Amino acid sequence: MPVEHPLTAAVPWTELTVSDADWDAADPRLLRSLLSQIQLVRSFEETVLDLAAKGLVHGPAHSSIGQEGAAAGSIIGLESADLVNGSHRGHHQFLAKSLAHLVPEGIDPVAPLDDRVRVLMRRTLAEILGLAQGFCNGRGGSMHLRWAEAGALGTNAIVGGGVPPAAGAAWAHRHAGTENVVVSYFGDGAVNIGSVLETMNLAAAWKLPLCFFIENNGYAVSTSVAEVTGESRLSGRGPGFGIPSWRVDGMDPLAVHLAMTEALAHMRAGNGPTVIEAEVYRFFHQNGPFPGSAFGYRGKEEEAAWRARDPLALISHHLQRRELVDQDDLDNLRAAAEQAMASAVAELTEEEPGGREGKRRVRPDLWPRRDFVDVGIRSDLAEFADSRYEEADSFPHPMTERRFVDVVARVVERRMETDPSVVVLGEDVHRLKGGTNGATRGLAERFPDRVLGTPISENAFLGLAGGMATDGRFRPVVEFMYPDFVWVAADQAFNQVGKARHMFGGGTDVPLVLRTKVAIGTGYGSQHSMDPAGIFATNPGWRIVAPSTPFDYIGLMNTALASNDPVLVIEHSDLYPVSGLVPQDDFDYRIPIGSAAVRRTGSQVTVLTYLAMVAWSIEAVTATGIDAEVIDLRWLDRASIDWQTIEASVRKTGNVMIVEQGSRGTSYGGWLADELHRRCFDWLDQPIRRVTGAESAPSISRVLERAAHAGVEEISAALLAAVRDSGGH
Amino acid sequence: MARLLRMPEIAAGTGHATLLAWILQPGDAFVAGDEIAELETDKATVGLPAEHPGVVGTHLLPAGREVEVGAPLAVLLDSADEVPDVEALLNGADENGETPRSGDAAPSPDPSRPRQFVSPLVRRLARDHGLDLTGVLGSGPGGRVVRRDVEGLLSVRTPAAGDVGAEPRGPLPQASPPPAIDDDRTDPRRVPHTRTRRTIAARLTESKTTVPHFYLTADLRVDPLLELRDRVNQASRDGQRISVNDFVVRAAALALTEVPEVNVAWTPDAMIRHEHADIAVAVDTGDGLLTPVVHSAETKPISTLHAEIADLASRARAGKLRPHEYAGGGFTISNLGMHGVPAFAAIINPPQAAILAVGATREAPIAVSGAVVAAKVMTCTLSVDHRAVDGAPAARWLACFTALVEDPVRILV
Repeated sequence: MPVEHPLTAAVPWTELTVSDADWDAADPRLLRSLLSQIQLVRSFEETVLDLAAKGLVHGPAHSSIGQEGAAAGSIIGLESADLVNGSHRGHHQFLAKSLAHLVPEGIDPVAPLDDRVRVLMRRTLAEILGLAQGFCNGRGGSMHLRWAEAGALGTNAIVGGGVPPAAGAAWAHRHAGTENVVVSYFGDGAVNIGSVLETMNLAAAWKLPLCFFIENNGYAVSTSVAEVTGESRLSGRGPGFGIPSWRVDGMDPLAVHLAMTEALAHMRAGNGPTVIEAEVYRFFHQNGPFPGSAFGYRGKEEEAAWRARDPLALISHHLQRRELVDQDDLDNLRAAAEQAMASAVAELTEEEPGGREGKRRVRPDLWPRRDFVDVGIRSDLAEFADSRYEEADSFPHPMTERRFVDVVARVVERRMETDPSVVVLGEDVHRLKGGTNGATRGLAERFPDRVLGTPISENAFLGLAGGMATDGRFRPVVEFMYPDFVWVAADQAFNQVGKARHMFGGGTDVPLVLRTKVAIGTGYGSQHSMDPAGIFATNPGWRIVAPSTPFDYIGLMNTALASNDPVLVIEHSDLYPVSGLVPQDDFDYRIPIGSAAVRRTGSQVTVLTYLAMVAWSIEAVTATGIDAEVIDLRWLDRASIDWQTIEASVRKTGNVMIVEQGSRGTSYGGWLADELHRRCFDWLDQPIRRVTGAESAPSISRVLERAAHAGVEEISAALLAAVRDSGGH
Repeated sequence: MARLLRMPEIAAGTGHATLLAWILQPGDAFVAGDEIAELETDKATVGLPAEHPGVVGTHLLPAGREVEVGAPLAVLLDSADEVPDVEALLNGADENGETPRSGDAAPSPDPSRPRQFVSPLVRRLARDHGLDLTGVLGSGPGGRVVRRDVEGLLSVRTPAAGDVGAEPRGPLPQASPPPAIDDDRTDPRRVPHTRTRRTIAARLTESKTTVPHFYLTADLRVDPLLELRDRVNQASRDGQRISVNDFVVRAAALALTEVPEVNVAWTPDAMIRHEHADIAVAVDTGDGLLTPVVHSAETKPISTLHAEIADLASRARAGKLRPHEYAGGGFTISNLGMHGVPAFAAIINPPQAAILAVGATREAPIAVSGAVVAAKVMTCTLSVDHRAVDGAPAARWLACFTALVEDPVRILV
């Protein structure tokens, strides 16, 4: 007969409620400022809905009306250096954080509105309308509001997508020795997504000062919480990860404030993350000016019951009860807020010429210029101004033979010596004498605080690294054991890290290095044998480098680590044991972005290749006796590739062959062939030829794996065909 | 039994023709030789005669289309009450490997030869170096002309192997860019080329750019010829008026018999020696130049020549020449005398080896036995393909021709 012992969570899970006594005890200045914030947000949101109804908001207008109290209550106790980020419904948090930053002493509801506040309201509205004067130059709009100076890291249109980066900012706070915290806001719909749950685990493991703030408004669009989870008390997620958690009435700003005060104490003391679930209600539908009941997923009675708990009415009631304001003050405050919004609207819009009475349009001169569209996808490379560049064939000092894999560890170690901001993270990078490949050998011993063995949650730790990078205090070097894992982390890799700079206006640096190795040929099969170059090359924002020699690895990794853009550094398991000449004691040089290396000069055909295929291509050229020019691309992305060297070679040979090892489907060369056909059309003597693996991913079986990737035989056959098609024999 | 009426091959090597108009409509009966439709090639408009009697069943194509040779045009029936299985007929055409409905096919830009494939690199080289790729057979896939095929044709230094970026610098022999093509089809100043115009352009460009011309000129005294012509015309019973040009054509024909080295054609592999003097006579049709041919002109008396030339010229102007009537000339005479042009040089019509440009008859002072007298003079210029004919035989020919014209009785006998 088994004996059962009841288990309880190791951390508290608490519901916090307040009474009139708490309201009576609260600091009048705090309450008056809360009132001001809530009224300002309310008036702002009403204006947004009004403009949306008039067709002036392009895209969705996710209104926070009804939820303002939770944002104001949780933020009013934060310092400027504390950080927040949020989700698609984030106007209220953005405004509350910005107001707290602009007017740290609090906003007096009876005093005239500060000009700084008026500018904030106008610029926030401008961003939502997509105008050049907005916080992200009009690029971000309603769902990507970022004002780094105020500690607003950026709202996010991917449900849960902002949570991993928030953990990165929290890591930076903790590792920089501050007591500051990060609050990441998300809704009930996000609480079941991997990004959030993985990050809860990671933040708890690393004791990050991160508050997971759940605005539980009961509905993910039209789907109710209870329909899609077995535990609809969402703060219950926290204790499973060892995170102390609170549930609080989100319609009560003071209750939220008090819960956050407890959570802040926990986090500032270095005890790790917290969860706060604020039960709130959005008075309108997911977006737009109609109530949810109009769409049939909830009833008018339910809406009326929640409206009776309006946070603005509640705080007004208590302030009047305590005679801190009277009705005239409330009316005047509302009038002042509405007047501020009316003047913002007047500044941003005008009567539509020839339109019907009252029809307005955005003032045409306020839009961003069309030619701004691609500006700021990547850094302007100013960070490389004082670089020292070296190439192997002109290196002036003594060289020595070293293994590729040892050089990987050595150059990162060298950077960690000279730059305390470099941080290494990934699965097992801190153990096994340098991770599963030995590529981080010796780092954990020398820099235990900066070599982080992660849980197996690529999306969370890549996103965390992205948050570190955009924070600016650290330069993460992430290792993915296999490139295929980028699919697991795709949201963070492409929606967040890749797009952050551009989406937030073009000025946000994202200095992140992602290392991974192509493992084709090791028998790891279909899900571990991708070459990631093609996937990253088609996603803007990333630079890609694929070193084929130890000497190049040092220079290219140094460049990657100096870059203010995310850089994918592709390694290859076949290259790790290969030795090559590297400087005896120089691990500080760089190799410039946009520099390919001509490994063999030739006249008949230009072979464009990279990584392990460089040596194989030269082997095939030797075997066939064809006078091919072999170019090691080194930099692979659209912005960093060396067009000059490539085009000069194509003009010489008239024939191009793009050689890569991996599967056809995710292959790299398609976009390059497309681009080259246009750049070099009049110089081509035949269509651009491509060598890739098969359509299928490589299998475990040795024979099938070999059949699925390209090698010397395939390159040789293609070389012969290229010569044949150029009229030769 | 129902059968298909197909686009015939109107002239050798003609891949397409235009179905200009339907003469007979569905239901119309015809006998052998009746013209069913009117067809147009780059040279002429011809009727399409019926081979057997019958009734027109269905038109398969509307008039106005360019149609591939062999493509079905109409269904012909033995009798009007026959119900044909058109589908089966067309499918049968399919199985024979013939094009069933080429009316749907996009018109080929140059119907006289199959499309030539040229790599972009070679197109650029041709443009930069002024290369004519006509007739170049490529060694790339599907006959594509690739760089290797034209390397021998490059007249200036090309980028050498191992010489990065060694583009030819400075002006090239043919440095001017091709004229901008005006694509605005609504521009009223824009007159689309007729097929005749295109053919003339292609042939003459080919000639002037690939045939090495040289020119011999002679001033011919023609007082005796003019007197003889007047006497012949006065004696004419049927009122026909022999022209100076008729005499010139016959004199040229006789000279070709006397000096057969000029009566030749140049081909890449061999010289073709003509047996007869087949003389093409340039005719201004108002829409371009046509050159109907008087075959075996040396065998025909001048009255026959006159009648034949007059008939060919009038039908050329009406667009009614049959293909064989403008094919196969060995020598051309171009006469601009009626326009008062005293002298000019003409472009050879390949593969012919020579063309004679005849100017206007004019009064000019000439020296006769130390005295200046007024005489009727005609200037003729012979353009010669130096690949086929050297200077001496050409000069002999011109001397022979001159002697005939100046002693015109010999032309009549």
